Amino acid sequence: MNTEEKNIFELLKGVVDPELMVNIIDLGLIYGVTYNEPEHKIDIDLTLTSPGCPMGGLIIEDAQQLIESSYPNFEVNINLVWEPMWSVENLTEAGKEALGQI
Amino acid sequence: MNQIASQNAPSPKVVIPHYAFGGLTWLAVTLLIVFKPDAFTQHFFNPELLAITHLLVLGWITMIIFGALYQLLPVIMEVKLYSEPFAIASFILLGLGTILLAFSFWQFSFGVIMFVAATFVVVAVGFFVANVLLTAHSSTKKVIERTFIITSVIWLLFTVLAGLTLAINQVHPFLETSQIELLKLHAHAGIVGWFIQLIIGVSSKLLPMFMVSHDVNTRKLTVAYYAINIGLIAGLVSLFLQMKFGIVMSAIIIVPGILSYLSFIYEAYTKRVKKQLDIGMKQTAFSFLILVIPFFLIFTLLFNFEFLNNLTLPLSVAYGSAIVIGFITSLVMGQTYKTLPFIVWLKVYRGRIGKVVLPLPKDLYSEKVAIAQLWLFAAGFALLLLGISTTIVNLLIFSGIVLFLSAALYNFNLFKIIFHKPKNK
Repeated sequence: MNTEEKNIFELLKGVVDPELMVNIIDLGLIYGVTYNEPEHKIDIDLTLTSPGCPMGGLIIEDAQQLIESSYPNFEVNINLVWEPMWSVENLTEAGKEALGQI
Repeated sequence: MNQIASQNAPSPKVVIPHYAFGGLTWLAVTLLIVFKPDAFTQHFFNPELLAITHLLVLGWITMIIFGALYQLLPVIMEVKLYSEPFAIASFILLGLGTILLAFSFWQFSFGVIMFVAATFVVVAVGFFVANVLLTAHSSTKKVIERTFIITSVIWLLFTVLAGLTLAINQVHPFLETSQIELLKLHAHAGIVGWFIQLIIGVSSKLLPMFMVSHDVNTRKLTVAYYAINIGLIAGLVSLFLQMKFGIVMSAIIIVPGILSYLSFIYEAYTKRVKKQLDIGMKQTAFSFLILVIPFFLIFTLLFNFEFLNNLTLPLSVAYGSAIVIGFITSLVMGQTYKTLPFIVWLKVYRGRIGKVVLPLPKDLYSEKVAIAQLWLFAAGFALLLLGISTTIVNLLIFSGIVLFLSAALYNFNLFKIIFHKPKNK
């Protein structure tokens, strides 16, 4: 992971799941970030805790808006992925603490 | 890539009026308890209690269920709602039908107004059932939750048609079975067939989603489905044919079915990722505790204990009230906090992220007000049951006042959510 990709990960901590009130990095919803400098493209693989999640659209919109505002000359693609399916193992320590797991 | 559930959501204009109508009807009912407490101290077949019951089951509970389902069907079935105009027509007819029906019952007048009202309700339900079935038809998700919802709406149609038949039978008697027994049949088709099965279908999808619970055993729901439907059909046939043994047997089949569902919910609760419950989920948990009361009362009534003979009528009213004013009302209030803020939040903030201050859905209502509402409801409901069981009118008036305060706080939060405006950055 290069410096820009690390930066994008940090920025995505600003996107919060409105039901769980935990950011999407600590929830483990981001499966990958690819920063492509020559083509001016950023690809983000994102999942949701459940396929029926009614807030999915807004989480994606929020993430897209946040990254586009920080990288105005880049094309930002959020790819919604379901494999592997999200599980509690995806939570970071901070995520577990926020949800009362530890 | 799957379609995102929020892309299938219907227009909020279709959903929100159902919540507003429902909330105001619940407030009106609490006032009727204050001003007509003796409705609860007589035989359950009395004009005022029939009016209050229909306001509750149609104007409050069914109205909010209709609105919530239009939002939730796309989540459960992962397709768009079949028709928004059907939903609007259903709302108008159900609203008008309920008011006219309650008025006719209050006057105990089985004339033109009653039959117009009943027709409005039947047509409203017809639009709703068609909408649900056609939405389900376009979905490929063949899950048990979908089966529960489809079966429940068919029971709803049966219930309102049975109600219309009862009204006709009151004016032009053509059925040999007594009106009282037919009323029990109509009520149980509605409570068990419609409300309980709909609650199971929706909650078994939503509650694990809200608590983020994975790998919950859905076979428990399949057991519940067959037990409830076999038991209910057996019970209704037995009621119609006046077979006491069949009625007892039906309760013995249905109750384990409901317990199987409760075991599913408990499993979801123990496997939850989100440990802390918010106020909406706390009130939902409280509703499930209330269920112990009707379970206890139904067996007490069915086994006809001699020492309770004088209490049979008050306990029958208490049984119905524990389900409708206790369990279902509490559940509807709790789930309002889990559904309406999200509906309004999506309406207000979709496409405006980054331009306005983004609150959390829970910031759209006052949690302190919601907590006070829950405590007042618990106290008011306990007093109501005590008042019904002892037939003490002053206790009923006091319970009505406490429930009115709870309903007023509920409406305060309801309209605070509905009229929420975004703040510019």
